[in-house]
Amino acid sequence: MTNPSSSQKPGRAILAEIKAGLLASLWICLLAFPLMTLEINPSSHTISFSASRLPFLAGATFVLAILWRFFLRRRAFQGVSKAVLKSEGLPEGLIKGPKPTWLTVVMGSRFRYPVLAILLGFMALLPFVSPPYLVNVMVKALIYVSLGLGLNVVVGVSGLLNLGYVAFYAMGAYTYALLGQYLGLGFWVCLPLGALVATLMGLLLGFPVIRLSGDYLAIVTLSFGEITRLVLTNLDITRGPRGISNIRPAGFFGLDLNGPIKDFLVANLGVDKDMDINKILTYFIILGLVILTIICVFRLENSRLGRAWLAMREDEVACQAMGINKTRAKLTAFALGSTWAGLAGVVFASHLSFINPTIFSFMESIMILSIVVLGGMGSIPGVILGALVLIVLPEQLRAFSQYRMLIFGALMVLMMVFRPGGLIQSAREVYLHKLGGQDGPQGGPAGGAARIEALNGAGRPVEGDGRG
Amino acid sequence: MAAPMLELKGVRTAYGNIEALKGVDLDIREGEIIALLGANGAGKTTTLCSITGLVPPKSGSIVFDGQDIRGARTESLVRKGLIMVPEGRRIFPGLTVLENLKMGAYLISDKRAISQDLEYIFNLFPILATRSRQSGGTLSGGEQQMLAISRSLMGHPRMLLLDEPSLGLAPIVIRNIFDIIRKINRENGTTILLVEQNANLALMLAHRAYIMTTGLITLSGTASEFLNDESVRKAYLGG
Repeated sequence: MTNPSSSQKPGRAILAEIKAGLLASLWICLLAFPLMTLEINPSSHTISFSASRLPFLAGATFVLAILWRFFLRRRAFQGVSKAVLKSEGLPEGLIKGPKPTWLTVVMGSRFRYPVLAILLGFMALLPFVSPPYLVNVMVKALIYVSLGLGLNVVVGVSGLLNLGYVAFYAMGAYTYALLGQYLGLGFWVCLPLGALVATLMGLLLGFPVIRLSGDYLAIVTLSFGEITRLVLTNLDITRGPRGISNIRPAGFFGLDLNGPIKDFLVANLGVDKDMDINKILTYFIILGLVILTIICVFRLENSRLGRAWLAMREDEVACQAMGINKTRAKLTAFALGSTWAGLAGVVFASHLSFINPTIFSFMESIMILSIVVLGGMGSIPGVILGALVLIVLPEQLRAFSQYRMLIFGALMVLMMVFRPGGLIQSAREVYLHKLGGQDGPQGGPAGGAARIEALNGAGRPVEGDGRG
Repeated sequence: MAAPMLELKGVRTAYGNIEALKGVDLDIREGEIIALLGANGAGKTTTLCSITGLVPPKSGSIVFDGQDIRGARTESLVRKGLIMVPEGRRIFPGLTVLENLKMGAYLISDKRAISQDLEYIFNLFPILATRSRQSGGTLSGGEQQMLAISRSLMGHPRMLLLDEPSLGLAPIVIRNIFDIIRKINRENGTTILLVEQNANLALMLAHRAYIMTTGLITLSGTASEFLNDESVRKAYLGG
């Protein structure tokens, strides 16, 4: 249907495919020509030419191009079946969404709490049975989960593209580092203070820039991130590029965790004897923070304010007509997002015990944004999965570390083509369509052959919903 | 006669250098349905935007309930009960019908009132009850218009500003919607300012009407005067 020539003359279609594949491989060869053929020999100061690798590149590109076109074609055919459904009188938007995933099914069922409990139990046991290295990786991943969820409020829910998110992360980290260094304040005092500083800075920055939208907002926040990094590099109080070291880990009622407590844990619970028990504490702190974040974000999204954010992303004029103060709503989103960056920053500083400005580079902002986009904008489980994929996988695949950014880039391109909504799409965009006369909680459209029920409530019951 | 609920005097509004309103005078009394008619680009929508503060006017006065509201923020006007249904419906396509309606009640904190309002809306437009879990973008044009009107009703309007509710809809749907507008006016006493291109239908509904041409009110009178006036019929109603 989409490709009439293929049904009429298969020979010609195959020829066209081969032609397209050859064209792609020629293009790649031209692009990569200097990179693949010229070899610089630093010791003898000569440049040699060798074309031996070029055929391999051409062949690989050709195969990939054919595969690529095949998958694109398959996607187009799915589009055709959608068009057929549409001609049967089903509204377009209903068909657009994917079928319910295992996630929405489980979270909508009565097994929701047992599943969550098992997951929580697993997470709680993990640090006691795993090697120290894995605990470190998990702490890192969980810090990014909470950063991702915070940025998700700004970018995913409210649609404000913030490219300087790392600045607020840095503020949280430096708040703890500096207050600990100069005033001797402890972790638990600094945790809310770091959040407060980040929130206030979010408000201060947000106030002038929030009237900008889209690209302009992105540029200004990007600059803000860079300015923050440069200020941290050049201030005396932050010790410039040398950074701050010997940041104390979080305390636990003033107990020395690596003393008798560690002996007890190693003897009775099988904890690795090289384990730093402070890391286990940090793990639980960040785990608690992530759980708190999930609850907060979930509650927010289903609140009046959260709905206003979602609506703001869709239509600002209509929002104003509803009586929403545009500036205030955007500012709250911006500042609240920053709060989580501040919290994560404090935990990060205590975890690493050393921070310097280079940690908080623009790349870090991009990383957090990638977590949100890859996972699925506006989707809490998506962001969690995104953080795990982008943080844990590179740690586990050290062997390929050279190709990390290459794989990362390819992953992003593939995702944008085949799964633009992210790994786990926001549940808001998931609809269930039932054909035939099955029973649902509500009456279907009168006289229609199809009964359609939006599954928006699955896993996140709307008020007045009997299923919750 | 009582003082008008909304009164515009010499309102001038400009987009950059282009003056869209060149001194608009208009008054609406409580409980009236007023039709604001005119060709494309006459300044009808700009008039509504000037009233609601979406496009602040340069000069003139806008008085609502005895208070000068020129340049006031849109949300403070919504709080006063002056609510607009924007042109092209502008519902939130990604939110469900129910969520769209709740957005309309953004400034209302009384939960019981909100659920009563929902019940009222679902009686007014039963189709919205059927579709309450569906996302707004999946509704048909007529349903979207019903949703847009319902959404603004959720904010307890004392005066409703409707911008071309008939835009792009089938005649039978338009009739249905106009019936509801009349019903809202009669049962709740909601004052209505209706901007329309479909002059015939609007005049059937309205008590009085204004006709705009290039940023000015050029004619005003009762709806029946307009319908019976031969020259008006020729110029604006297509014979």
